[in-house]
Amino acid sequence: MKYIISGFIVIILLFQLISCNDDLLESTPYAQSTSASFWRNGDDAVAAANAMYEPLLWEDFYGHGEQTFDICSDDQWRAGDHGEDQAIEEFTFDADNPQLAFSWRPKYEVISRANAVLINVPEIDMDQTLKNRVLGEAHFMRGFMYWRFVVLYGGVPLILEQDVLDNNYNKPRATTEDTYAQIEADWLEAAALLPASYDGENLGRPSQGTAWGFLTKLYVYQENWAKAIEFGSQVVNGPYALAGSYGDNFNIATENNSEMLFAVQCLDGWAGSTHHIYTTPRPWGGWDFHEPIQDLVDEFEANDPRLDYTVFKVGDTVNLGGDQGPTVYTPDLSQTGYHFRKYASWRATGGLDDGQNIPILRAADVYLLVAEAKIRSGQSGDAEINAVRQRAGLPPLSNATIEDLIHERRMELAGENQRHQDLIRWDKANIVDIVALYQQDRGPLKPPRNFQRPKHYLFAIPQREIDLSNGVLEQNPGY
Amino acid sequence: MKHILLIPVSFLWLLAFLLPSWALAQEVVSGTVTAQSNGEPLPGVNVVLKGTSTGTITDAEGTYRLNISGENPVLVFSYIGYISQEMAINNQSEINITLAEDLQTLSEVVVVGYGTQEKRDVTGAVSSVKGNQIQNLPVAGATQALQGRAAGVNVVRNGGAPGNTGSIRIRGTGTVNNADPLVVIDGVPAGSINDVNPNDIASIEILKDASASAIYGTRAANGVVIITTKRGDFEQPIRFSVSGYTGVSNAINTIDVLDAPTLAELKRERYLNDGIEINPIWEDPQYQTQRTNWQDELLGQGSTRNLDLSVSGGGASSSFVLSGGYYDEDGMIKNSYFRRLSLRLNSDHKVGERFRIGESLQLTTQKGNTPNTLSAQTGVLWSAIRFHPGLPVRLEDGTYGSSQVSGEFGDINNPIFTVDTDDLNETRHRLLGNISGEYQIVEGLKLKANFGLDAYIRDLYNFEIIIDKQIRARSRNALTREYEEFYSFLSEYFLSYDKTLAEKHQIGFVGGYTSQTFNTDGFRARKLDFPDESSAQRYLNAGGTLSEIGGGRSYDALASWFGRATYNFDERYLLTATFRADGSSKFAEGNKWGSFPAFSLGWRISEEDFFQNVGWISNLKLTGGWGQLGNQNVARLQYLALINSGIRYSFGGNAVVGAAQGRVPNPDISWETAEMTNIGLDIGVMDNQLLANINYFIKDTRDMLLAPPIIGSIGNAQIPDQNVGSLRNQGLEIELSYQKSTGDFTYAFSGNASFISNEVTKLYDGNFLASQRYGRPNQEISRTYEGQPIATFYGWRTDGLYQTAEEIQNDPNIANDPRKAEGLILPGDVRFIDLNDDGLIDEEDREILGSPHPDMVYGLNADLTYKGFDLSLFFLGNAGISIYNADRMQGIDPTYPFNMYAETVNRWTGPNTSNTIPRMTTKRDNLNHRTSDLFIEKGDFFRLKNLVLGYTLPSSLMEKAGLTKARVFVTGQNVFTITGYSGLDPELGYTDGNLQINVDYAQYPQARTWTLGASITF
Repeated sequence: MKYIISGFIVIILLFQLISCNDDLLESTPYAQSTSASFWRNGDDAVAAANAMYEPLLWEDFYGHGEQTFDICSDDQWRAGDHGEDQAIEEFTFDADNPQLAFSWRPKYEVISRANAVLINVPEIDMDQTLKNRVLGEAHFMRGFMYWRFVVLYGGVPLILEQDVLDNNYNKPRATTEDTYAQIEADWLEAAALLPASYDGENLGRPSQGTAWGFLTKLYVYQENWAKAIEFGSQVVNGPYALAGSYGDNFNIATENNSEMLFAVQCLDGWAGSTHHIYTTPRPWGGWDFHEPIQDLVDEFEANDPRLDYTVFKVGDTVNLGGDQGPTVYTPDLSQTGYHFRKYASWRATGGLDDGQNIPILRAADVYLLVAEAKIRSGQSGDAEINAVRQRAGLPPLSNATIEDLIHERRMELAGENQRHQDLIRWDKANIVDIVALYQQDRGPLKPPRNFQRPKHYLFAIPQREIDLSNGVLEQNPGY
Repeated sequence: MKHILLIPVSFLWLLAFLLPSWALAQEVVSGTVTAQSNGEPLPGVNVVLKGTSTGTITDAEGTYRLNISGENPVLVFSYIGYISQEMAINNQSEINITLAEDLQTLSEVVVVGYGTQEKRDVTGAVSSVKGNQIQNLPVAGATQALQGRAAGVNVVRNGGAPGNTGSIRIRGTGTVNNADPLVVIDGVPAGSINDVNPNDIASIEILKDASASAIYGTRAANGVVIITTKRGDFEQPIRFSVSGYTGVSNAINTIDVLDAPTLAELKRERYLNDGIEINPIWEDPQYQTQRTNWQDELLGQGSTRNLDLSVSGGGASSSFVLSGGYYDEDGMIKNSYFRRLSLRLNSDHKVGERFRIGESLQLTTQKGNTPNTLSAQTGVLWSAIRFHPGLPVRLEDGTYGSSQVSGEFGDINNPIFTVDTDDLNETRHRLLGNISGEYQIVEGLKLKANFGLDAYIRDLYNFEIIIDKQIRARSRNALTREYEEFYSFLSEYFLSYDKTLAEKHQIGFVGGYTSQTFNTDGFRARKLDFPDESSAQRYLNAGGTLSEIGGGRSYDALASWFGRATYNFDERYLLTATFRADGSSKFAEGNKWGSFPAFSLGWRISEEDFFQNVGWISNLKLTGGWGQLGNQNVARLQYLALINSGIRYSFGGNAVVGAAQGRVPNPDISWETAEMTNIGLDIGVMDNQLLANINYFIKDTRDMLLAPPIIGSIGNAQIPDQNVGSLRNQGLEIELSYQKSTGDFTYAFSGNASFISNEVTKLYDGNFLASQRYGRPNQEISRTYEGQPIATFYGWRTDGLYQTAEEIQNDPNIANDPRKAEGLILPGDVRFIDLNDDGLIDEEDREILGSPHPDMVYGLNADLTYKGFDLSLFFLGNAGISIYNADRMQGIDPTYPFNMYAETVNRWTGPNTSNTIPRMTTKRDNLNHRTSDLFIEKGDFFRLKNLVLGYTLPSSLMEKAGLTKARVFVTGQNVFTITGYSGLDPELGYTDGNLQINVDYAQYPQARTWTLGASITF
């Protein structure tokens, strides 16, 4: 009997234990904040700002996807083994080509993170200077994303703070003009809020000069020469001097110099990207994409030292570190005979160094934009173009023409994801004939390609996005 | 390990032997049940105290032991294929009985939630598989053994890797989310059944319809699988049994690929056709020498070993089973293995007249590794099919052959190198146990309590070496360790009441409260830069750079009130009503609770007076039921806007962390509900020699939780699930069995077939659900559309190849296609059908190409016994099923730098040379190998899944040897397969949740396995 009673007591006690536990069904987000418990102070604001840059590292974005839009240019052959790339390079793609979609969502993810900052940070009680910087960064990044969108696809749905609050994401495309206007507004706001430059531990955040530089580019695309010259000159005359050597921009030790207005920041062992793997030969640890072609190499002036910083070529000796050490670049490493050199370096212990940044905007680019604005508005661009040439150790030009400018941009910015868009821009202005340029036979790897005007001025909106929008998103003409 | 196990085991042994002295012998009846035909003991016989749900099952020696109560107690003995017997106890303490073979199986007891029912009284749809049907099959887990055993229960094998036993789908795929059934092991809802040693299983019951499973409300929408393990018997002398088997497994087939000379020839042809200079590597005789058949190198001989030991016995008031098992399977692919060490102790004790206490305890340690075979970029079998056949496994200097010699050979690493250097394993230590007590308050009324614990420790180890001599290089080595504890507590209390009123009214009631909590707690660490890769240095301390460290915790809980009432009038009219109210922590306040009712009715027509003269029908029962079930098996905390912190970036070489919202919240998230209607018919003819069970069901899932495929303008944040979708499964299930015994010869045949159709009836905004894309070019293969089954194949239609330029010029499909004008479409390219009649081929020309779901899944079983010999054949089949052969799609595509299928030699080379295999080219202008009906194949198969041939030594011989029973046996798995499918194996399984199935990625194929074994009892 005693067992029965004690058994009962145990059961009843346990029952009490359980049934008194009202919190049984309460779930706790362990080790995670919620948006309700976040946005407390300046640290949270900075953390939210830091998060805006992270998608730039993604393989689908600046790690590869965004870079692939320049394989259309006459500088490089796609190489690699991504089946979808041939259609992009040869203008035979349709809207379902996966390359068109890779960097679509990452851009909106950055926009989403920027919008979160713009919505929540104004309410935080924090140091005003820091708050301005964080808000400036968010305006800059949002503008930057819409800039990449408008360049590639034309106008896109503009998701702004109020859309986030209204949960309104399936919007029709804004016009190109409205998209430009939004970018301009964001960058002007950024230029007003951001500091002129940064000290060591914040090196690489966008500065006032970054915003000015991008505004310059925007105005050049809009052929607003006065504004382009106005904002570009602020960069030229600001604390954004060209690096002492062209190569400093592509060297881990010196990559964050005054010229580097914006780059994807990488740190080996912590947060790296993949572009440096894509651009290097397979036996050297890379994936062998984006091979420069002879046509590009041939355009370098004799003794232009930039060639050696731009490409690996047969006979070059490269220190791959570790067991491999100094290694000679041989013809079997590449189909074209070349690889881009700008993005990769090797650790002393061997292996690609994940710490090399991916440059996005250099002051030299802005110099050349100012020069272009001046030349195309009937002024002399010699000062800016020669600043770039002199840094490279080349003789100055006088009365530089638009052809000189086109040549200089191609040399200075080779492989930096500018050429195809530059050619489109000049074609629209009847300065170059992109159709004829792309019809040229540059050998079996770069056969004549049929660029259709105006269809191929823009890439197709990813088909999946059109499907998902239930018809709200309209495709670009011709696709 | 052994020492750790010894402590709890010795404690429980102590308990088992101490407790008998407390009990009273008079309350117990025990004995042995033997077969009339040969005097062999009968294991698995149901022994039930008549009029109650008290019962037990005879053990391997045919002995039983049962606590009895009530006035004039009567025992009912029942066993499949034998005539049931009733025996009044009349104060005897030992009742030995022999059962005559018969086909009457209706009085068999089946385990249902929180109790048992006699099969004749069951009004829901329940299938039952007895443990002896799956004993000693060379399988890693019970899931695998269940395949094809019951109608409406589809076990989808996801390849044949060791330890990968497949997914159970009961009555179709009930949701696009987790559609796994609830598994209840000895009363504890407990995740995976594959930790249970199949040889410990006494029976598996599958609750299929709402009425049967609604008592498990919350988690029952996908059906319930109840595992009952073997228990000891009271008053049974200690018995030992040993059984073991060992065997080998081999690949059933391989894909024929090109040899090195032919490969070079076809590669050159690509360049010639395109007018491009031939890459000199294809002229190099060094790479035109056939050296290696990579699939033969990769797929070696596997082996399987299993050893089980068990001790069982019982005194007057205590009984136990202690069993230990070791299962060890090495797969065909090197470094793929699964090992499980299991220990089980089940015991039952009677304390006084009214109180019973019992426990089940299972300890398992399993360890395994499966190389990646699901990637169309790095999968090892995928690689073996494509790796250059002119490269050696190893070069003369001992290093592995490598495609680093040329980019023309593709970015594939030597698959032998990959499996040789793979250093990955996952270990799981699991403890599953419960203690249950039962107190009889008055006759027929019992209070029961059950406390369960399910806990495991999962430990993942992965060392990645530096790869510099292969083309997919890795510049830094790394070690990742993940360590996670999981623990779940169950407590439940319920009353049961059984009473017969005025002889004809049997009423029963079960009701109570249950709650279960689920916790995980773990951490993960990763270090880079190990200066020394020798095995002794592959520990975190030896690493140079800390790359990652993190950890977290999670908590989920369920609380429920449940009740079931049964009423049986005169064995003619049956009623079951069930109700369950469930609360889940997965949902926000206000949405936590859901209620799930169900009822069913049964009419035993054969018991009616008017039916008595229909002589040839011995049993006829019509049942019907309806009910609602819930599913809450979705991601937790979706009602909160969670912030992901620890996002990594850097500025000026300084590490920083960021934080961003990782998920959009949905405060309204709530239960998925499945509503099911079932109509069933049980028929027995010719004195129940032939039995048929037919069920028709309609199962509607509504409020299906879907993360709507949201437009990209939201970014990458996770979209929360919303209760928007609905889905319908409906189908017919037929089970037939026939048994007969003549003299020494007994034979039994059974078969089951399910015809289930699946249709997604509503999705978010009429949109589709996308699925994983295939390989490098990210080819879309599967989409889920409203009005269609889940995971249909989606792509282009084709109409052969263009044979001449005229055909291209005159083809209306491409009348307006700019590629035609540019000369990009050539003879030997595929003619795609312009479905939208706009004269060009683009993504608008895609449509649904086929369904990956079988029209019929069936199993056939034959058991033949002659004297000591037994032969069992089990066949499994799928009919009316399509497979998307993605591996072949890429395997005959010349634009990849890979080896190709041997059939590519039959390519198009001129008019009328081929109408199915396109020309050789390096160009993708026509995308000949885009997702299309060219690569849809019939996946029907009929397979001799298991063959068991056994011989039981005669008892005369046995007695001399002091043994009770000895049997030797041979088993075969996948002995033969009849299929028209051209790939490695037609059983491909899921590759992206439920949203992609039957797509061939060159999955780890199933092997043909032969084993030899013996079991001895003494």
